[in-house]
Amino acid sequence: MRVISTVVGNYPRPEWFRDYLRKIEGLQKDLDVEVDRDVLKKAVSEVVNEQKRAGIELLTDGQLIWHDFLLTIASRLEGFEMNGLVRYFDNNLYYRIPIVKGKIKRTKRILYDFEIAFEIEKNVKPVLSCYTIAKLSKNEFYSKFDEFLWDLCDAIREEIEELEGMGVEFIQIDEPSLLYAEKDELKNLEDVFKELTSTKAKTVLMTYFDSAERIFPEVLDFGFDVIGLDFVEGYEENTRVLEEYSFERINVGLIDGRNTKMEDLNDLKRKFEEIVSRGEFKEVFISPNTGLEFLPRVKAFEKMRIVSKLKEVVS
Amino acid sequence: MKTTVVGSYPKPKWLLKMIKLHRDDRIDDRVMDEAYKDAVKAVVKDHEIAGVDIIWDGEMRREEMTSYFAERIEGFVIYGEVRVWGNAYYPKPSIVGELRYRDELAVRDFLFLKSVTEKEIKVPITGAYTIVDWSFNEYYPTKEEAVYALAEVLNREFKELVKVGANYIQIDEPAIPTHPEEIEIAKNAVEIMVKGVKAYIGMHMCYGNYRAIFPDILDFKVDQFDFEFANRNFEDLEILREYDYDKDLGFGCIDVHSKRVETVEEVKRAIHMALEVVEPDQLYVDPDCGLKLLPRDVAFEKLRVMVKATNEVRSELGLE
Ligand SMILES: [Zn+2]
Repeated sequence: MRVISTVVGNYPRPEWFRDYLRKIEGLQKDLDVEVDRDVLKKAVSEVVNEQKRAGIELLTDGQLIWHDFLLTIASRLEGFEMNGLVRYFDNNLYYRIPIVKGKIKRTKRILYDFEIAFEIEKNVKPVLSCYTIAKLSKNEFYSKFDEFLWDLCDAIREEIEELEGMGVEFIQIDEPSLLYAEKDELKNLEDVFKELTSTKAKTVLMTYFDSAERIFPEVLDFGFDVIGLDFVEGYEENTRVLEEYSFERINVGLIDGRNTKMEDLNDLKRKFEEIVSRGEFKEVFISPNTGLEFLPRVKAFEKMRIVSKLKEVVS
Repeated sequence: MKTTVVGSYPKPKWLLKMIKLHRDDRIDDRVMDEAYKDAVKAVVKDHEIAGVDIIWDGEMRREEMTSYFAERIEGFVIYGEVRVWGNAYYPKPSIVGELRYRDELAVRDFLFLKSVTEKEIKVPITGAYTIVDWSFNEYYPTKEEAVYALAEVLNREFKELVKVGANYIQIDEPAIPTHPEEIEIAKNAVEIMVKGVKAYIGMHMCYGNYRAIFPDILDFKVDQFDFEFANRNFEDLEILREYDYDKDLGFGCIDVHSKRVETVEEVKRAIHMALEVVEPDQLYVDPDCGLKLLPRDVAFEKLRVMVKATNEVRSELGLE
């Protein structure tokens, strides 16, 4: 069993970059001002180096200009307009709702910030999302949700093809909303996700904020190489899932990304061993359960240190 | 029927400059303290000229509503800021030990304000539920326990305030309507906070869906609820009517998210709508929320219009 330390996605912005964004964008809703490429590159490399310094092996770009969390992807596609502020799941964090005003189209690269990270470091994974964006958007254009979802899927699919062409090894797809999908909806989603996962790159499904027992067994047919589960919010339920269903590669979200409290390493080790004993895994990724942007930056770094220490003691 | 404010008022621009100088160590604490006091006097004067009946000091010393209190209560530390949305951040406190009373939170501010005005005074303090909801909890096994522990601390502060002469305390709880599933915890927290406190108690709530917390909040041990109505086109008055609302009502009728100054006619119409739900002596006319994000001249003008509208309604009803 190979163990790899990783993170989920977002990371607190460096303070100077925060000030920079505030200066060029202000505090109102008209964000997404074009950030100077060199400035962004400096910020991304700082965060990439910070992850390396903490001992993280599979990195992310830190999603430093993702003002609206996963919904940022919508702001980079044609057909959406961003408006209104809504609470992001059960967090004290808000995003602008993407409103569908026209046909969804991909007219330019979505993850231009990932592209910058990939220039600096090859061991970075891009983060995308599809179903969650469709669920959290307000559709004022399509007569059927399915048409909307498929157009969105096509746009994401194009991005994935380009990422594959760049030689990206892992592509992560975050779907927190999937955890609340109805059973019959899950069946229909199989085709959408199969479309997204049919790539030479390895695909990771990341779920968080809740346990994932409701998406099994359907999710096993979605074609993901790695399934990520949140063991902070759903330790009991997700451990039961592993007992009942088997898959080869798992992302274990075991370190709390939403609390400044630092976990006890022995306690984590015991839990980790319990989790992996429930299945026969070829590859296990260890990470916080969520992105680290929920924490002050000093604490985010400490959490990554815990991830890499845990990796050391269990492998 | 009285006019009041929710709490905050725009800081004078010169004060913002002073705060920055103080932060950069270019002026000492004594000078800064004098500046704060002068700013309070200026703000009080604005309220007096506008003619507001029950006032507060405009929260000149408070940067925001969580960490200001957390910094003064034993058991909290602040590691840094976290993002709320877009480019907006706040210093999010962590609870790292038993929460205990250390220092006064608003006693000094109350006493100073009392020394510079003859007006009635309301003291706004962020409530236990909201402070805990907006903090990390490293210490207590559950959120509920943390809320109750903090409620005890605030209860002590409320009693201290009453001791020095405060008779109107407003508990700010914007987080309650964002978690209707925890309304029972919030309710118990109120009981702890107000136990033995001989003062008129109001509770201000903005954000969230009010419908989700009705009718449960009608059992809260408070004398008054203060809601934002203007920002929601006064549609939520319907909820009050549906549940035979019988507490006093803090009636937010000035939109704090818009720089457009309401007309006297508009505000009068709103007050008449409120009077269909409560009696005149149950009504406290105020803005939706604190005014701090508005330009100062706009904030002043809005208060002036609010008072003028209230006065006209009073005389129409023969209540002088
Ligand atoms: Zn408010």
